[in-house]
Amino acid sequence: MVSIIIFLAAILLFIGLFTNTINTAIVYEQHQGTATRCSDLLDSMLLNPGSPSSWGQSDVAPSSFGVQDPEFTEYQLSAFSLMRLAASTGDLVEYDKTSNTLYTSVTNGAGAVLLTPNAQALNYSTALQLLGINGTYGFQLSLTPDVTVTVKQADSNPPLGFSVSATGAGFPFAGASISYCLIIVTLGQTQAQYPSYKILNGTALANQQGAASIVFPTVTQPNPIYAFIAYTHLDGIVGVGYTASAPTTDPTVVPIAQDMKTDSVALANSYDLNNSGSAGYPLKYNVTFVISTQDYQLSELSLGSASSPGLVGTVTSGVSNPVPTISLPASAPGILIVTYQQSATLGGVVMMPWGMSSLAFPVNFGGDPSRQSWVATDLRQVMIGDVAYQAKLSLWSTKPIGVTGL
Amino acid sequence: MMRTVEVLMVIIILTGAFMASTYFAVLPWPRQVSPLDLGRLSLTTLETLNSGNALSEAAFDTGNATDWENLQVALSASLPPNVIYNLTVYNVNSAQGGSTLYTSQQSISNAANLGISSDAASYLVSSSNVTFNPTPQKIGETASGGGGITLYILNCSDSNGWWITGYNAQSLAGDLENLLSPYFARTVMVQTTAQLGTILNGTPLDGETLQNAVVINTCGEAVPIPTAFSGSPYSNNGYAGYCYLLGQKVNQYNWTWTSIVGWPFYYVTNTALFSNSQNSWGIYGMNMVGPPGLNAFLEGIDNQPYTSASSTTGSPGVVNLSNEAVTDCNYYGIYPSTYQTSTRALPTSILAQFHLTATTYVFNTVNGWNPGAVYRHTVTVNGKTQYQGGFYALGLARTPDIRLTALGLLCDYHPRIYSSDFNSYDTSRLAVLQLGLVGGT
Repeated sequence: MVSIIIFLAAILLFIGLFTNTINTAIVYEQHQGTATRCSDLLDSMLLNPGSPSSWGQSDVAPSSFGVQDPEFTEYQLSAFSLMRLAASTGDLVEYDKTSNTLYTSVTNGAGAVLLTPNAQALNYSTALQLLGINGTYGFQLSLTPDVTVTVKQADSNPPLGFSVSATGAGFPFAGASISYCLIIVTLGQTQAQYPSYKILNGTALANQQGAASIVFPTVTQPNPIYAFIAYTHLDGIVGVGYTASAPTTDPTVVPIAQDMKTDSVALANSYDLNNSGSAGYPLKYNVTFVISTQDYQLSELSLGSASSPGLVGTVTSGVSNPVPTISLPASAPGILIVTYQQSATLGGVVMMPWGMSSLAFPVNFGGDPSRQSWVATDLRQVMIGDVAYQAKLSLWSTKPIGVTGL
Repeated sequence: MMRTVEVLMVIIILTGAFMASTYFAVLPWPRQVSPLDLGRLSLTTLETLNSGNALSEAAFDTGNATDWENLQVALSASLPPNVIYNLTVYNVNSAQGGSTLYTSQQSISNAANLGISSDAASYLVSSSNVTFNPTPQKIGETASGGGGITLYILNCSDSNGWWITGYNAQSLAGDLENLLSPYFARTVMVQTTAQLGTILNGTPLDGETLQNAVVINTCGEAVPIPTAFSGSPYSNNGYAGYCYLLGQKVNQYNWTWTSIVGWPFYYVTNTALFSNSQNSWGIYGMNMVGPPGLNAFLEGIDNQPYTSASSTTGSPGVVNLSNEAVTDCNYYGIYPSTYQTSTRALPTSILAQFHLTATTYVFNTVNGWNPGAVYRHTVTVNGKTQYQGGFYALGLARTPDIRLTALGLLCDYHPRIYSSDFNSYDTSRLAVLQLGLVGGT
């Protein structure tokens, strides 16, 4: 009798011991499967343009998901497909004067904003279905520029100056070349005049800490209205930084990518966003579109007739007042720069990236990995336009991990 | 007592089994459970470094300390801080007589060793004097069930051209073949009007795919006519009936008919059939159809009943390439003059009249005239709108610039140009980037 009791006790003890080991091994196996799937899915997203391949430049819903640039065969991503992803972060903005009324607002530093139509965005749940992982996995795709370029206005103003600091993911961007561009705005002084701008290009070299000081001796007026963009580049790794003067007007002009299919951008009076202000406040504007050339200088691209590189007009708040719209080049990533003024002394400037990489906007698409118990991640280096990004996929299982009944 | 001993022995055996299985059943390290794919990260990092050819330049200039310092900064800046690396460039030797295939040339690293686990990727770089060869996508090769479409170039030896002054149809055909054949799965030169008759009857000339083809008429305002189509009803109204048939065939086979210059279908040509007639300008082997030819063709493409009505064209004068066309000039490396003279532009009214959609404007529309555009005939089948038949008309003044013909078709189909992987004997070096992770296991 005693021996049977001892025997049963021993069996139970060993079952418990083996169960623990086996359970841990099975959980490990499941995690490893998730990690393998993570790597496969990341390649699937980055090496496939989706279907149709031009879905990023249209309003159609893709039938398969991928963000590769269809013109390339490697890890080169489409700046426009990424614009159609519903951002994980960003506020919804209501603008009732266009056919699409809800827009996702993404900002990344001073002076630049990107509002894309919510109705035309590819949302997370659709992406899960297109990837065939709905109900089994969740993910977040993050694209972060390799190089973070911080631009600040120097204190010793006037003359106008900037400090530029470039840092890589793990190292200062020492000795990098810096190509910069200053858009300096002159406000119209009469009722008939619109704001005008002048573009000053230049180059500099970063020191061993990846920093540089840039001064514009010719810009000596107090409180200038400006936008400043800096490209840092070294051996194929390119980063973009920018800043702009704070607007001295209220309301302001806000560019809105109102339709991805027609590449049209509406110029909104900020009082019309979320119906936040009164009607009847006019702002005169002057619009230009610049693209980065091969030597990282910014070059203006005509939006209208050959004789007018910029477009001018007036945007007035109020539902009954017309919305100025402009069409941007369908396949040319660049930066839309809008200068505007309320009076002869009050004005501002705002930029909108046309293509996510133009101003090195980061991308976060998908669910929230911070709430998951186990997340597998994988990394790739990718190019979006000329800008180097790090693509990170976080993947987790949405099914319970472990062994039922053990 | 004996049973107790047996039980104790069983316990000892089970304990031994558990210890043995625990000893051999080693669980993986956490990093093995969820590994970072260092091999892929390594490959993509090499690709990024070489996006501006910086890696290639450094690989072939191993004595240039500045280049390698910059490369190390770029490499360090692009990798996460917990990743350590070793980048080595090897010369690729021609392996003869047992000599080493790869010889190390230069190496940079940020760690003495790469830890207990690492992964690597290699990337072949070429020197700057290697020829670069782009590879065009074949038009239609991604279409459902299609392996690419056929390009027919009318190179009929028994036909004459009009408004192709300074050229003949055969020389234009050769130039068009050189320009466009890389973009098509098959290019077929239609050498005689009889061969044209063969494909009009639905028989391929050499096993090519007939459906969805592009047909380029190099005879300008004249269109070749097979002798078999010389009778009624094709000869009706000065052979406008034949033009009507062409429209029907374009619809039936979903062809894209291309007119390279002038007023389309203004003449029909067959040197045997019209050996005694001339086009009123002294060119024999030709018969004037006049304005009804174009109208009959459009009626045919739209499956409308044949009428003898006339067509009109306009003369808007100097016209400019559309923005889309200018953009594609750069993409395809075709650079015609951006402004041309148009004296035979088609009216925009044909869009509604014949259910056409202008899918590509090669030139900007001027006051209701289309100097050059690709039209697609729109039909609705089972509630679904689709294109059935196409027509590309360049209503420019003579002489033709076949670069515009090529540009318009490429604008419309927009095949991609793939960058080639460049390899060259004795001019390649192998860059190997090995990555590891710092920290514990």
